[in-house]
Amino acid sequence: MDANKILIAVDGSENSRRSIDYVSDILRGCAQYTIKLLSIEHLPDRDFFVDDTAWKKACEKKREELLSFLYDGKQMLTEQGISENMIHTDYIENCHSPLPGEPGYCSRGTSIALDILHKAKEENFGTVVIGRRGVSKAEEFMFGSVSNKIIHSTSDCTIWVVQ
Amino acid sequence: MSESVKQILDRLQPDSYMGRFGKVYTDTSDFMRITGGDVIVLDQQHYLVLRDEVERSYGIEDPKYWVKRCRHLESGERRLLKLVFHEKFTLQMGELKVLCYRSPRKEARILDLVRGDSRFMQGFSAEDEKDNKIRVLDIIKGKRLDNWIYKLDVDHKTYFQAYLPEILQKFIASCQAIQYLHAKGEKHGDIRRDHLWVEHGSGEYVWIDFDYTFDFHENPFGLDIFGLGGLLLYIVGKGFYSPKEIDHMYGNEKDAPDIKQEDFLLVFKNRLANLHKIFPYIPEELNRVLMHFSSGTRVAYESLDEFIHDLRPCLKQLA
Repeated sequence: MDANKILIAVDGSENSRRSIDYVSDILRGCAQYTIKLLSIEHLPDRDFFVDDTAWKKACEKKREELLSFLYDGKQMLTEQGISENMIHTDYIENCHSPLPGEPGYCSRGTSIALDILHKAKEENFGTVVIGRRGVSKAEEFMFGSVSNKIIHSTSDCTIWVVQ
Repeated sequence: MSESVKQILDRLQPDSYMGRFGKVYTDTSDFMRITGGDVIVLDQQHYLVLRDEVERSYGIEDPKYWVKRCRHLESGERRLLKLVFHEKFTLQMGELKVLCYRSPRKEARILDLVRGDSRFMQGFSAEDEKDNKIRVLDIIKGKRLDNWIYKLDVDHKTYFQAYLPEILQKFIASCQAIQYLHAKGEKHGDIRRDHLWVEHGSGEYVWIDFDYTFDFHENPFGLDIFGLGGLLLYIVGKGFYSPKEIDHMYGNEKDAPDIKQEDFLLVFKNRLANLHKIFPYIPEELNRVLMHFSSGTRVAYESLDEFIHDLRPCLKQLA
């Protein structure tokens, strides 16, 4: 694992914004780090929509929002003095998306946490940064928690969980 | 010119008595208007509406206007028709709120998936002239499992020894049915006590109502698993036990068990999960499975594989 490579997993939420803020505070003035902002596409559930047209529209909207968030996140980091050429973005499409996608790894939609760890391993990131919603025990057990699953499923990189 | 209800009945069921001849519907979008005496036509098949289905809970009847009790006029058999009702609502589970959606196409897909599988209600979907996906369901002749258990007129110890082994065996088979759905990427979506029925004659357990869906992206089957945990608790306990009921069981007896908040369910905090404390003959292993759904648990089941894996040895112990 490359200790100088940091992966920030973002989902467009305030928690993600806090993660980016935190990393930019920590790394301000440190030239040797490369940062990747990673977003895993989570499709709205198809069954929540009356038909596929409505579903596709919701998928498009969600993809636009996340791509825009990645762009904004990169801006946030450069505004803190981190060199633009040290910052990368990556958007992992869902394998079942109705929208056109790039060839390569896609998310099967069963676990965002495992998708994040897959990318971390594949690209040799030494640190994974993730925001935390702060859910109750009942919510965590029933709904699942990306940050907790990441903590429990990795053994070969450092995890920063930003509250 | 299309046939009237009277003409259809004269042709298909000339001997039947009908108090009211209603309208013929080929578009079911406005389901509130469709009522007893109307006929719904789907794929050239005729369904005479008898009445709206009613859900009974705590003695209160709640009409389900989008579900019609019908007679299939070509065969004379009873059918349930579930008309399209897109509903998004928040399900309150204890302190948790879960956004749910009623999805006709999800239920239609599952009906296709489980065709011929006696562990699930049977039926098919057909579209009316406005492309509404209507589910045509066989009527299950039987009783709700929870009502059947509740009405067994025996004390808990007798129930535990004489009935639970067979019930648990069938419950595990029902869990395997849900496990099959999960393996296919589907969820039941609404596992409740009143959605598992005991069929008359065969005694088989049958799941009904698959139209709810929810979206937990990191734990896609979480609600199903917790639903099964709650159902297991009911089955093992022959009911649920609230603090008030436990007080009533023991009165002022000195040997009343020391029950703590962590002994109750994580989600429904007034239902005792640690049944071993009131029924000490419940084996530790079975109680441990129940405790995975309690407030005190540190580990929850993430899959039905784990749940069934823990439950199977309990069956051997009971036998």
